[in-house]
Amino acid sequence: MSNTVRVQPDLKFVQELQQVGGESLKKCYQCATCSVACPLSPADAPYPRKEMVWAQWGLKDRLLNDVDIWLCHNCGACSDLCPRGAKPGDLLAALRNMAYRNLAKPSCIGTWMSSAKYLPILVLIPAILYAFIWSAQAAKLGSAFPLFVANGHEWAVDPQGSVVFGGLFPGDLFIDPIFGAVFLFMLFCFAGGISRLLKSFEGMPRTFIVGRGPEPSFGSCLIDTLKNEVAQHSRFRNCGEEEKDVQRVTGHLFLFYAFIALMVVTGVVAFGHWFGAWFLERVMGIEGGFAGLIAWAGHTPMPLWSPVKLLANAGAVALVYGLTKLTSRRTSLDAAKSTSNWYDWYLLTVIWGIALTGLGSEVFRLMNQPVIAYPVYYLHLICVFMLLAYLPWSKLGHLVYRTVALAYARKIGRLPMGELK
Amino acid sequence: MSNNSILVVGGGFAGITAALEAAEVGHEVYIVETNPYLGGRVAQLNKYFPKLCPPSCGLEIQFQRIRNNPKVKFFTMAEVVSVSGGPGAYDVKIKIRPRFVNANCTMCGECEKAATTSVPSEFDFGVGNRKVAYRTHLFAFPQRYVVDAKACAPGELDKIAAACPYGAVNTADAEKTVDLQVGSIVVATGWKPYDMAKLTNLGGGKLKNVVSNMQFERLAAPNGPTGGKILRPSDGKEPKRIAFVQCAGSRDENHLNYCSYICCMASLKHVTYIREQCPDAHVTIYYIDLRTPGRYDNFMQKVAADDKLSLVKGKVAKIVECECQSPIVTVENAVTGIKSEEKFDLVVLATGMQPSCAGSKLPVPVSMDDDGFIAGDAAKGVIAAGCAKMPLDVMKTAQTGTGAALKAIQTVVGR
Repeated sequence: MSNTVRVQPDLKFVQELQQVGGESLKKCYQCATCSVACPLSPADAPYPRKEMVWAQWGLKDRLLNDVDIWLCHNCGACSDLCPRGAKPGDLLAALRNMAYRNLAKPSCIGTWMSSAKYLPILVLIPAILYAFIWSAQAAKLGSAFPLFVANGHEWAVDPQGSVVFGGLFPGDLFIDPIFGAVFLFMLFCFAGGISRLLKSFEGMPRTFIVGRGPEPSFGSCLIDTLKNEVAQHSRFRNCGEEEKDVQRVTGHLFLFYAFIALMVVTGVVAFGHWFGAWFLERVMGIEGGFAGLIAWAGHTPMPLWSPVKLLANAGAVALVYGLTKLTSRRTSLDAAKSTSNWYDWYLLTVIWGIALTGLGSEVFRLMNQPVIAYPVYYLHLICVFMLLAYLPWSKLGHLVYRTVALAYARKIGRLPMGELK
Repeated sequence: MSNNSILVVGGGFAGITAALEAAEVGHEVYIVETNPYLGGRVAQLNKYFPKLCPPSCGLEIQFQRIRNNPKVKFFTMAEVVSVSGGPGAYDVKIKIRPRFVNANCTMCGECEKAATTSVPSEFDFGVGNRKVAYRTHLFAFPQRYVVDAKACAPGELDKIAAACPYGAVNTADAEKTVDLQVGSIVVATGWKPYDMAKLTNLGGGKLKNVVSNMQFERLAAPNGPTGGKILRPSDGKEPKRIAFVQCAGSRDENHLNYCSYICCMASLKHVTYIREQCPDAHVTIYYIDLRTPGRYDNFMQKVAADDKLSLVKGKVAKIVECECQSPIVTVENAVTGIKSEEKFDLVVLATGMQPSCAGSKLPVPVSMDDDGFIAGDAAKGVIAAGCAKMPLDVMKTAQTGTGAALKAIQTVVGR
């Protein structure tokens, strides 16, 4: 044979794959049902059949440099129709998990995020940090559960006052600098991950699309991806036709726009506080008028009728609704067809934690129950930290990696067979 | 005192073989067959392996042997209702459904002419119709018509009876039960084609021009609904592009979790049917692996030399139809790695064999595996034969029939 390829299986890699969720891949007998079942798979070198044989052979390089794992949105149609129960959908999920683990540095966080046994480390980092702040503040304020009244720009302890989270955990000193730093750290790590991801795609073959003209730029593809696949979930909607798939898209859309809403709220608060109250009012000395409005919009705690607060509450409700949909779908999955892994549960649990502790903080603050409200707020801080600081190594990393990969796939012409018509 | 006689459940190739082998060495044998005829699935084929004979060829000899041997008694349209006792002394109760036609029948066909109601033919797997007074096929054994009284329109049964010049139609025929005493039981209940309506992604039972391999046998058989012309069910046109989908429901844990052994060979055989009738037709066989056991590989080599036959590795996982009702299959060629949609005039699903008793409880003291196959239990004097045991070709079926006869004899003689 002229095209003989010497296969050098990487057994360690195969074992690693089996650990992160590709346990059943040995059952595959290459019938190619999966590639046909997939509604998003391209006509040329469709996935996931080829990934199954690469995985069986331990062809690590091909799998790690494969853009197709990100084209898969995991509806599970392939696994449902698979005649051997080889779960190709689970393999692609496992490969994505490996990408979350390995793309961004430092790799120790990738390791910690890869298994439930490291969870205590992930929890203890923010737990100790915020416990330290809490105890230091308690010593300073004379109570672990202080109540406050407003005193100009400051909060003063007063037993007749009310629960104010910003009093116990002052934003300027602790919340904003820590989360700001965490955010920058996350962006920095993501940048490295993205560059490694794009580098890995360099060997992908180009598909020539008749009538498309020259290959579009990455920037224009990224904009198209954001407009279609991200904002409208256009691919996701085509991923599977069953009731459970519809439920998943609805849940994901709610979750996605809930996060956008909450991000806008956070942005308004940060902008109002730092630009309005600090820069315009304090530094520039401008009082009232437009500057006053900006400062007011970012001032917490907000009155319940504030549009910003209304948006925040709407976001929280949408978050819980989306989470309910996604969780009920995941718990009703047929274990013989697709399984959920640690990455799935970590993300769902952390977001549930954020939603419930966030709503809890608000409710108990309004009820003025310091002994419950402060611990719940403390848990909320831990959850938010766990989502944000470890984001590039979590399943939520798909937010960035999938977007980049989809834009790249657009650029090189790797489109679903259905979209070419 | 042990009973010397043997009950054979099922009058297909395995059952007939077992019965004759036992009868010809002096045992009294009863064949219980649920269909109105003997010969089972073989009777429904156009040609069968290994020599591609028409079924009348092998079956005619067997029927001759049955006719000439007073030790063989058979009941058609009959089922085993209950079995009691133990090895060497089984009491068997069988139920015989009314045929409404007695031994006076000469197969003249006057009753069929008098009948007006038509229903889908079981013998043709629904690709053709039959009247309510019908013969399943030309060489049916016993040579006797059947009247389907339940499907008759009011008054139709009397009209049919009046039309018979020989007084063979007995409108008062009713269900009978018969008690038999036997020493051992051969279970040769055979197989049924896997229900293709369960293959929803392949349009099984929905798309008109997607037929099963057994339906295709009927389309090609001279005694079939088209007189042996291979025609599209939707418009009766001769197909120019035909696809075969192998492992349609076989080797699939969602359907039949095993290989049905003969479907690859059956599809290759079907290519020869097509080639005889339409020399220009293009045929594609989509397979996972072409399984051509033993000497069958020579046959595959011969058929594969056809330059209008493509053998493509890749399982069809989706079939829809275009406006002209031509099926469009989606398949990835696993060798080239290209997924495409291909339009055909006719698609044949190579559906597998499911044991006839799968999903039901056999009134015989023997256990069934998860798929419905019966291993038999020689200690109890219950022996399995043919495709009730595992998917087989006709040749191996006959061998298991002979083997079962020997074991059955050992049971009744050994006590």
